[in-house]
Amino acid sequence: MTASLYWYLREFARIEWVRKFFFARTAPLVTPAHFRGFPEPTGKACQHALFCMMVCPAVGAIDVVHEGDGWKPRIHKGHCIRCGLCVEACPNGVLMSGRVLETMQAQGTALLVSFRISIDRDLCTGCGNCVTACPVNKQIDAQLGAGGHSSNDEVIMRVDDGDVQVLHEEKCTGCKICETSCPTQAIQIARILEGIQQPVEGGGP
Amino acid sequence: MSILQAIKNKVRSRSIHVSYVDVGSCNGCDIEVLACLAPRYDIEQYGIFVHNNPREADVLIVIGAYTHGWEEKLAPLWEKIPDPKAAIAIGNCPISGCCFDRRGSYVDPPVSKHIPIAAEVPGCPPRPTEILNAILSVRDLVFADWEVKRR
Repeated sequence: MTASLYWYLREFARIEWVRKFFFARTAPLVTPAHFRGFPEPTGKACQHALFCMMVCPAVGAIDVVHEGDGWKPRIHKGHCIRCGLCVEACPNGVLMSGRVLETMQAQGTALLVSFRISIDRDLCTGCGNCVTACPVNKQIDAQLGAGGHSSNDEVIMRVDDGDVQVLHEEKCTGCKICETSCPTQAIQIARILEGIQQPVEGGGP
Repeated sequence: MSILQAIKNKVRSRSIHVSYVDVGSCNGCDIEVLACLAPRYDIEQYGIFVHNNPREADVLIVIGAYTHGWEEKLAPLWEKIPDPKAAIAIGNCPISGCCFDRRGSYVDPPVSKHIPIAAEVPGCPPRPTEILNAILSVRDLVFADWEVKRR
């Protein structure tokens, strides 16, 4: 009986047992470095390509606002789902989040955004609204008239033979202003997003 | 501050009862709350006890985008919790509706329209550490000196 009690007390008075019992703590509440948090600015200048907004899958999570003398992407907490796609899609590396940028560099991956202009010939009336509304057209050919006729071959599209002809699809920035200005919904801009991977030296991970 | 109040503060800071209610989520945030209970994050080491009885709870964790089925349920549930109490919205859904808040969907976010929300944890889903930090900070803000503040 006495021996049993002795061993019992001895067992429970062990210093490490007492410490564990009274000061038990699991891992502290730290966020690991690789965690993909809300996107943060890297300090590089935003070029207003708006690919972040186009690629964002969440409703109202990101917008690009004019602040001071430049553009600035804003992340809305409560809407952002921290997928990191805006970080990947940005051609200028304005945003960062976790290891996304490092991983992209290490694996040679990128998100390419391109635009396809499709015009419904049956609906198009050749009014030229899309041609004059297009901000890229306006920059290339300042003389662009109300009819949408242009003698400049460098414009994205112009009215020829009573219909809109697309000349340089690759210059489209995907703003979709032509879509909203079209009275008959004849013009459609498809935003195409593709993931590409460049071969990296050593074959990558 | 009286000694009684000091004792109450001390006890309350180590004895938080949590009740959680899912008002229509995708279960992603539920999994993160579940991860808080698991040994890695171990919510009970902070004296937080999770059981789903609102009459014993101090903190109500609200998850989900508030479907219409909760119209006549969530507010009475909030009334059942004795003072002092606080509600925490977990995830994007109770804050903004996230991906469910679109035309034709039967959700009615934000939850703060229906019951007072003390803290919001954004994220889809938020990390367990963020959930834990929210509960711990609400504990310090709402429950400490509650009798003094009420007067």
